[in-house]
Amino acid sequence: MLSRRTIVQTSLAGGMVAALAGFAAFASWFPKPDREEQETGWRRIGWPFPRDAFPAGRAWRRDGTEVYVRPKLGFCGNCETGVVEDSEVDRVSDVDLLDASFVPAGEGRRIQITDLVGRSRVYRIKKDGRDRLAQGIAVSFKCDLIVAVAVGPVDDEAVAKAVRRFLETNTVQVWLNAQLEGK
Amino acid sequence: MTRQWLWIGACLLAASPALAQQQKIGAPPESSNMKLVGWNDLQARSAYQPTIHKQGNRYIAYIGHHGGTDDVAMPVNPMTGKPENNGTSIVDVTDPAHPKYLRHIPGAPGTYEAGGAQMVRVCDGAQLPKGDKSAVYLLRTFGGEAHEIWNVADPGNPALLARLDGLKDTHKSWWECDTGIAYLVSGAPDWRTRRMTQIYDLSDPAHPVKIRDFGLLGQEPGATGQVPTELHGPISTGPEGNRVYFGYGTNKGGVIQIVDRKKLLEGPKEPTPDNLRAPELGRLLMSAWNGAHTTFPMLKMPIAEFANDKEGKTRDIVMIVDEAILNECNEPRQMIWFADVTIESRPTMISSWTVPEASGHFCERGGRFGSHSSNESMAPVFYKKVAFIAWFNAGVRAIDVRDPYHPKEIGYFIPSITDKTDKRCVKVDGKDRCKTAIQTNNVETDDRGYIYIVDRANTGMHVLELGGTARQVAGLK
Repeated sequence: MLSRRTIVQTSLAGGMVAALAGFAAFASWFPKPDREEQETGWRRIGWPFPRDAFPAGRAWRRDGTEVYVRPKLGFCGNCETGVVEDSEVDRVSDVDLLDASFVPAGEGRRIQITDLVGRSRVYRIKKDGRDRLAQGIAVSFKCDLIVAVAVGPVDDEAVAKAVRRFLETNTVQVWLNAQLEGK
Repeated sequence: MTRQWLWIGACLLAASPALAQQQKIGAPPESSNMKLVGWNDLQARSAYQPTIHKQGNRYIAYIGHHGGTDDVAMPVNPMTGKPENNGTSIVDVTDPAHPKYLRHIPGAPGTYEAGGAQMVRVCDGAQLPKGDKSAVYLLRTFGGEAHEIWNVADPGNPALLARLDGLKDTHKSWWECDTGIAYLVSGAPDWRTRRMTQIYDLSDPAHPVKIRDFGLLGQEPGATGQVPTELHGPISTGPEGNRVYFGYGTNKGGVIQIVDRKKLLEGPKEPTPDNLRAPELGRLLMSAWNGAHTTFPMLKMPIAEFANDKEGKTRDIVMIVDEAILNECNEPRQMIWFADVTIESRPTMISSWTVPEASGHFCERGGRFGSHSSNESMAPVFYKKVAFIAWFNAGVRAIDVRDPYHPKEIGYFIPSITDKTDKRCVKVDGKDRCKTAIQTNNVETDDRGYIYIVDRANTGMHVLELGGTARQVAGLK
């Protein structure tokens, strides 16, 4: 039979551990912004999607726009041509994580992020019960893919350009390079 | 002092078993209950699918190749003295101890998966309903752009008969020799996936007749939303079994789709959601971490443990083989799985098997480690008794599948590397770190009981036979 004192002490210790774990989780959900994040205004947020076939990516938010990025190693449909079809953007760009019933808003177009080339396409999605726009992006290096999806007013060319520029910053590129093992 | 150094050396050796396991040119093969009978270098071309065909009194091996490598995009064919794009090797294996290279049919330009002619199936004209009785037909892919049909009645002088092109990809097709129905893994330009099924009547192979396009709902033209996993390959049990088992995925998001063959062939053909749904009897969704490269049916298997049960004494089993994609274990383990599909609407995974990594420190040997494919011959010599699985740097593994609830290994063979074996690299600190290891890609068997394995890293084709106790499992003397 445990004494009352032991029970109280154990409960307090358990509570402290839970509080610390909660704080750690909270801190990882809202990581400290790096210098470039502070300059550009993009703030890191937690990766909100459940575990799937690929390691979790990283996500950022600025004003009304969110960007989700991750590499998909060995997943390019054609290692020689890279991403050249809209249907490949449909398949790989993670837009289905936001809404499995996404609908393309039009034809896609060629995109270049740093020296990687691929395609992007805008979709109509439902997120949190609201109609939103999302831009799926897929660029490749040999057989590896870098995919991103931006949610927000991405039909506005200024927003789309800001997303593209952010994807080219060190904040994103240094992390991506680490994931790609320096490829 | 000397003793001290010996002690340090022994410690270092014990601490780095991978060094001891690294393959070296000139070292003997590693094996258990399997032995080498013969070998051919296949002109040092990266090999994908072998098909062994009994052609009169001869046994001919037809081997599909991937495209060349960055270092050697077009290997020289010593028979012509000219560089040729990798295509199809034709080898006489009547005497398995002395395989004789007959002919190389060049394939599509392009390196690795972008070129070559990876897939090959063969049917006799005498068996096909409307074929030329004197012909032997070879169905092969031509890179990702076309399927081709050749007459290989004289395997040393093949002749092109027909071509189905305009595709965005191809892969591992299936051809029923008794009906001529072919399930061609293709990329129809208007479909949302790189690989789906185009069904053709190839009963007269010189005049292909399209039956329909097929795939998972959401892959069809005009669909929106999530795109399901792309096809890898189907296996049909023909009109008698009336089932087609489609495997989707390589190393991710595997789907096994069980389809009523008659409804598939005779149902409405437009790729509407209703028409795509209609022939499906059941499906099994695998983990997001594994794909369904090969779906090998083993139907009506008596299960000894269930012999006294009133119901369920025999089970319909599908062996599912994942494909490892990334070098040096940079992905979840790809292995083999057994599904009980007796109740087709509720298929259930019942067992799995993998090569124990520590048995050869395979993650550190270089190249891919994990399963890729199984033999697809249903000749009685091995069918429902022993399955052979190509396991990249772990060679070929012989599995006793008589109790698919408890599969067990009974033999293996890991060929030696040669000076032609191609390196495999991973990035470490931004630089290539390369190792050379065997990459057994595919395996096939013939009705005599020989096992043919081919290497993705250009080491050629090894002809093997079972030895020791493993022969008893197959009922071989």
